[in-house]
Amino acid sequence: MTRTLATHHHPGMENSMELQENPVALGTAAARPRLEVTALSKTYGSGPNAKCVIEDLTFTVTTGEVVCIVGPSGVGKTTLLKCLAGLQPATSGTAAIDGRRIDGPPPEMALVFQDYSRSLMPWLTVRKNVRLPLRHLRLPAQEMNQRIDDALRAVGLDGSDGKYPWQLSGGMQQRVAIARALAYRPEILIMDEPFASVDAQTRFELEDLCLKIRDDFGMTILVVTHDIDEAVYLSDRVVVLGAKPARVLDVIGIDLPAPRDQISTRSLPEFAEQRTTVLSMIRKPA
Amino acid sequence: MNRKLRLPVSAGGVAAALALWQLIATGPMAGGPLPTVADTFAELAGLLAGGAFWAALADTLVIALAGLAAAAAAGVVTGVLIGSFEPVRYATAAVLEFLKPIPPIVILPLVVLIFGPTTPMSWFLVFFGCVLPIIMQTVAGVHDADPVTLDTARSYGLGRVEILARVTLPSAMPFIGTAMRVAAPAALIITVVAGLLGGGPGLGRSIYQAQASGDYPVLYAYVVVLGVLGLAFQGASALAERRLLHWHASYREVLTP
Repeated sequence: MTRTLATHHHPGMENSMELQENPVALGTAAARPRLEVTALSKTYGSGPNAKCVIEDLTFTVTTGEVVCIVGPSGVGKTTLLKCLAGLQPATSGTAAIDGRRIDGPPPEMALVFQDYSRSLMPWLTVRKNVRLPLRHLRLPAQEMNQRIDDALRAVGLDGSDGKYPWQLSGGMQQRVAIARALAYRPEILIMDEPFASVDAQTRFELEDLCLKIRDDFGMTILVVTHDIDEAVYLSDRVVVLGAKPARVLDVIGIDLPAPRDQISTRSLPEFAEQRTTVLSMIRKPA
Repeated sequence: MNRKLRLPVSAGGVAAALALWQLIATGPMAGGPLPTVADTFAELAGLLAGGAFWAALADTLVIALAGLAAAAAAGVVTGVLIGSFEPVRYATAAVLEFLKPIPPIVILPLVVLIFGPTTPMSWFLVFFGCVLPIIMQTVAGVHDADPVTLDTARSYGLGRVEILARVTLPSAMPFIGTAMRVAAPAALIITVVAGLLGGGPGLGRSIYQAQASGDYPVLYAYVVVLGVLGLAFQGASALAERRLLHWHASYREVLTP
């Protein structure tokens, strides 16, 4: 009897301890952002010719969130992404993933460049382009092929894997670049004006693909765009940058119902409101 | 131009050139050192029937191709090193720019003095004559690699060596291909010059011997062979370039997506 009680009692105690600890653990996890940009500045050159492109940027992105960065063109958004991707060092401040400072390309991150035609290797077929970043992961051949097949199917490019990028339209090339990022299975996906140079129809499809990736893979996604409508449609939060040097004007939470739909979401009155909020923030004289 | 017409028109051009040669050899230069087309081709037939000609041809081909291959390997490796590391570039720039305008024939006496009239002598001249343009073009190609393409590779965590092999080198291939297309006929010419003026083995030496004995029909028969060989080298290197660089903008066959 006592023994039974004791055995019952013991795990019960463990449970209650876990219960006490869990909310604390969950609380820190929720409060702790996946990607954290703190007082980030980037200045090119020095002395009287120094050009400050980014000044004192601070914002965060939480796991599973889609965050868009908007701002006037030439504001230094690409510079910011290069700092986040570890391709160039910040002048001051930090960018960190899970509290770990980014000082080189982070393995859990993939970057989709704006200029897809230069980002894809013209000497490799679509399939080999997607495979290129997987090679050094030393995956078993079967898993590698599975990942490539899955990624190509996700972007609707199955059947084009033997073609060369330059045989494809702009929208399809950008899909290859996205498939390459997907096959890499990043936890954080960063995209630099990914849909800027594709036609409106393809743009809608790729935007929905972006949201689907987030839902399917639980990815954390950061998108730089100069299209306010796109930012509002995609985002959980929009980071509005002001110009020259870039600094954060505001971070606007986008409270639109999920799943989002190109027609119904965009025709919601809230969509128009959010859009107006972001737009007036950008156009406001500094 | 209509595809079907190309071959007959080309053949017509060749026939016209031969006719002009025959005219000059029988007209203004009759009895001079320029043999007629008929005499030359008769000697050519005689050469093709003998073993010495084929041995000389083989020597020439082996020297030209081995020199070219060595120049390509050394040139690409050196070019990639120079193109990838700035200190190496500054350390070598002056020397390379100094060596570049020196034609191989200028160092021929020195090389003959060192090696004698031998296969290594000819081979070294070919190497010297081909390697510098290949280095220069490779350096240019390495610098031409697109920064966005390189950033893409870096962002996916590719290492230095992998980026070099899988991104930088393919990017430089169009430049290397052009250098090789120019170097292939040059390798043949240098091999012949090395035989003609330096006594190295091969067709050059045969030409020298024909010239020394005043046997002009044989001399020109060799010249015809060299011309055909030059065409073959040019054609083969152009074909190889097209196959290797089929993806490059200048060779693409654009398919409708």
